[in-house]
Amino acid sequence: MTDLVIAALCLFAVWTGWRVFRVDSMVRASFSLMLSFVAVGAVGVVLSAPYIGIATIFMMAVEMMVMAIFMVMFMMNPAGLNPMVMVHQHRVAAVAGGLAFAGLAAAVLAADPPAARVATGTDTVAALGHELLGPSMLIFETAGVTLLATMVGAVILSSRRGRFGPADDGSRPPGLEPGGPPAGRQPEGGGGHHHHH
Amino acid sequence: MIGALLLLAVAATLAAGTLLAAWLDRRLAGGGGIASLAADWLAGPVRTEAPDDMNRRLAPAWYLALAAAGLCVVPFAPGHAAIDSPAGIAIWGACEALTVVVVFLHGWSPNAPFPLIGAYRYAAIGLPAMLPSMFVLIAAALPAESLSLVAIVDSQRGAWNVLRQPLGLPLFAVAILSLTLRGPMDYADGADIAGGTSAEEAGPARALWQAARLAMLVSACAMAATLFLGGPLGPVLPGPVWLWLKTAGMMAAILALGARIARPPPARMLGLVWTVLLPLSFLHLLISGVIAL
Amino acid sequence: MTLTIVLLGAAALIGIGLYGALSQQSFVMLMMGLELMLNGALLAAIGLWSLALGGMPEGQLLAIVVMAVMAVEMAVGFALVVAIYRKRQADMTESIGTLAG
Repeated sequence: MTDLVIAALCLFAVWTGWRVFRVDSMVRASFSLMLSFVAVGAVGVVLSAPYIGIATIFMMAVEMMVMAIFMVMFMMNPAGLNPMVMVHQHRVAAVAGGLAFAGLAAAVLAADPPAARVATGTDTVAALGHELLGPSMLIFETAGVTLLATMVGAVILSSRRGRFGPADDGSRPPGLEPGGPPAGRQPEGGGGHHHHH
Repeated sequence: MIGALLLLAVAATLAAGTLLAAWLDRRLAGGGGIASLAADWLAGPVRTEAPDDMNRRLAPAWYLALAAAGLCVVPFAPGHAAIDSPAGIAIWGACEALTVVVVFLHGWSPNAPFPLIGAYRYAAIGLPAMLPSMFVLIAAALPAESLSLVAIVDSQRGAWNVLRQPLGLPLFAVAILSLTLRGPMDYADGADIAGGTSAEEAGPARALWQAARLAMLVSACAMAATLFLGGPLGPVLPGPVWLWLKTAGMMAAILALGARIARPPPARMLGLVWTVLLPLSFLHLLISGVIAL
Repeated sequence: MTLTIVLLGAAALIGIGLYGALSQQSFVMLMMGLELMLNGALLAAIGLWSLALGGMPEGQLLAIVVMAVMAVEMAVGFALVVAIYRKRQADMTESIGTLAG
């Protein structure tokens, strides 16, 4: 019975994961990915990791909402209800993906992992809490510092205020002599898509 | 047996609570009330060009389902909840996060301007407005030393959390207003954008969406009563009755509050949420932590 | 049996994610591919922890670490996308063939 539920959830996770790259709309893609995460979270709940499973669900709901906002910011087809294809090196990618799956699946089928299940009645949430915030707190501290550095880095990277003025005006350094051309190396050409607004 | 009874209680509370909320909405906030729900139901549907039909049909149902899932973790009597999970409070957090997604999909799926504007505005405001409520949830778990709502109710036998965590209820009220698209936090369905995510909707879908908003109000108020007002704890009367009374009181307070506060422009509200509410919620976590020690 | 199902599901997620990360032109879609691979890693970690390692406490931490990695990947990824877009109006991988400037 549990096997059936888990198999169904895994299939759903894989199917929605596949849909991510098969739907036309960016919004559909990001929420398809969210469904894939929700299915994995549900597997976690079934496999006696309720906190991890539910945390996956709520974290991914937030993350995919942010993802959808960014999609809308950057895509030429924001509402995304019209068909479009944006892929490159399709064959290489498909072969690489297929090989990765085949290799990992072969490893899974060939391996003989131990079979120690979680003992029934274990309070896994409390165990996680003690492990996370116990005497050493190593993971918690490491994750905390990493996330702090990420926040600082992300804010600096995405800030409009560049070193030499607004980033979207090129943030050019001043010339070496008054009124001269900007100092430093000049980037050649723009990026490409100037006209999707 | 007791499980079936609890599920029945959840369903009955949600149904009766929605009707009560519609009535209170009419009395306290000038809303449409039950008659307008019925009138919506009887109207014909509106068609838009190239909509996403699946999400358009499912959004009200998801909203209702999230309200029901949220109510399932609420203990109706000390020690008994329909879903007595050791991570109960995280389940409610997930319901809050998914609500933003559902409201966004509701506005995105008709493929029409006003609903889309409502959806974007709500995504921008609803997401950060949810963050303080996460810290409020964490703070409520501190004195109980558990993420289980049953344990959180038990921890309030001495003093209710509303006394021990004074900032909690006001901060959570903001989250409730945002979750139910109401008053100052109604950036999704506001009248200034012709009804926002519901602008292109009529008939049963519209009635169901409005009913789901009211149902979410019931769940969120029951959660507030559980977190801060001791939930089913109280003298003489049985537990469920106490929970119902507290929930009804919260609903009336939220509706009255929502109707009396003006809605600032989205940009100003965004600044307010990030620079005032979020730091306040950190302060709240600090105060609650010190008191819990 | 259960473990095999879970791990095969994880392998499939990683394969699809790799395909997506290699084939998508849009940065945001590329990041979805990365996320999908991390999703597979998360599934495998949960499965092994619960069904093979008898729920040893350290196992859940691995899942937490995977989640932290996802958060970092999203934040830094989007910050880079914004920075590149401001500088070059580019949101596609082809547009940044050179890292200079």
